[in-house]
Amino acid sequence: MQQIASNNAPSPLVVVPHFIVGGLIWVLVTALIVVFPDSFTQHYFNPQLLAITHLLVLGWITMVIFGALYQLIPVIMEVKLYSEKLAVISLVSLAIGTLLLAISFWNFWLGTTMILAAMFLLVSVSVFSFNVFQSALQSANESIEKQFIQTSIVWLVFTIVAGVTLAFNLTAVFLATPHIELLKLHANAGVVGWFIQLIIGVSSRLVPMFMVSHNLDKSKLKVAHVLINIGLILSVLSIYLQWKLGVVVTAIILLSGIGFFVFFIIDSYKNRIKKQLDIGMKQSVFSFFMLFLGLFIFFFLILTTDLFESLTAQLSIALVSTLLIGFITSLIMGQTYKTLPFIIWLHVYRNRIGKSDIPFPKNLYSELISKTQLVFFALGFLVFFAGILMLNEFIITLGGVLMFISSVLYSFNTIKIIKHKAKLYE
Amino acid sequence: MSEMKPTKEIIIELLKQVIDPELMVNIVDLGLVYDIKIQDDKKVIQVEMTLTSAGCPLGDMILADVECVLKEQVEGYSIMVYLVWDPVWSPDLLTQAGKSALERF
Repeated sequence: MQQIASNNAPSPLVVVPHFIVGGLIWVLVTALIVVFPDSFTQHYFNPQLLAITHLLVLGWITMVIFGALYQLIPVIMEVKLYSEKLAVISLVSLAIGTLLLAISFWNFWLGTTMILAAMFLLVSVSVFSFNVFQSALQSANESIEKQFIQTSIVWLVFTIVAGVTLAFNLTAVFLATPHIELLKLHANAGVVGWFIQLIIGVSSRLVPMFMVSHNLDKSKLKVAHVLINIGLILSVLSIYLQWKLGVVVTAIILLSGIGFFVFFIIDSYKNRIKKQLDIGMKQSVFSFFMLFLGLFIFFFLILTTDLFESLTAQLSIALVSTLLIGFITSLIMGQTYKTLPFIIWLHVYRNRIGKSDIPFPKNLYSELISKTQLVFFALGFLVFFAGILMLNEFIITLGGVLMFISSVLYSFNTIKIIKHKAKLYE
Repeated sequence: MSEMKPTKEIIIELLKQVIDPELMVNIVDLGLVYDIKIQDDKKVIQVEMTLTSAGCPLGDMILADVECVLKEQVEGYSIMVYLVWDPVWSPDLLTQAGKSALERF
């Protein structure tokens, strides 16, 4: 028997600012899509698209993931976060680094500003990684979820180091491999190695927990872990050495690895006890459909490599948009409704338990607004996606407007949840 | 309540006031309560219970809620709440009411 476990959750003051800053940057990204749709109809190596992409991946996705992970470490690793002070340092340097990097890309300043941005980002990622690995060291839990999180952070560090190397290479070329190819290496490590692996680690714990699915076969996750990491190592070598067959083989290995994870999620969905999905889980389900769309484009892309360069360049933008916005952004927005209300609710009501007038965490946000936000997002993304494929700036703008409305509604709900705490501070 | 001698049945009814905030079903119908021991001579009530998953972020709140509800409604007794992981919770432990509620919400 065990006495009541101590509470391992970090202070909301550490976690919540990540959601605020991330949400604001997501609004900014959608506004930039509306105002500069031409960024998506040119070759992907253009200053505006590089700036928008880095705001999206660092300022929005990585920012919210950092915050959510600080909250989820106690859930997944069953230990306290190693240091809350380090988490704040990481947050501040990530915010400064991201903004400086976006400004540098936008103006194509390749000198001091970009190097300074890279240094802030290196500090942020190093501090974050140290914090998570120190927490992991205290944990006796050796679950596959924990292993996914640890390897994802290794790939995050690799992505940032590769990014810094690219920044130096842009200033004065010293690498033999073409810059565009190195950019693919950097993007692949970031999207698959960091984002997708982390999502697998976190969601393979959270999805069964929220759906109340039991007796799931975790061997699928172990196979996925091995395949994804072998695929990633091979992808780095193949891209760097410009080995075309290696790229195709790598893509098949990565797709198979992600496939095993998808089968695990489908198992979880089929075996769920909780039949009705709330709005957070509905948006998460939508995001998985977008993952299927992304995997389909990925498969199509590797089959057409070098055949139609103009087509593959546009498909590449469509693929990255589908993974970063259709899948990851949608999943983050959905899971915000599964994490943020609980963080605030725990903080506000911790000392008021046993009272009958306590609302449920789901009462902290407007369900109507979250449903409207999902509809605008789903429509907006699909229109935006069509606009990219059709090279039509008007359609991209239209999709951008719908996603902008969705991002504003999301931020409104986020603030409503956070303000719930402020009221009870009185 | 303070006038009455607490029985297992009364304690179970009281524990139905404790709701899992994520699943919105009470802990009795979820099958989380494994055992209740009442020692009238020592004025102690022991509740042995589990959670639906290890590392549940709401676990502390649920356990504290159990203690709070019983303390408030059974005067004169000390409340001891123990968290156990053996046996591990499974959906087989849900009551019929619990199953129906999970299908509804």
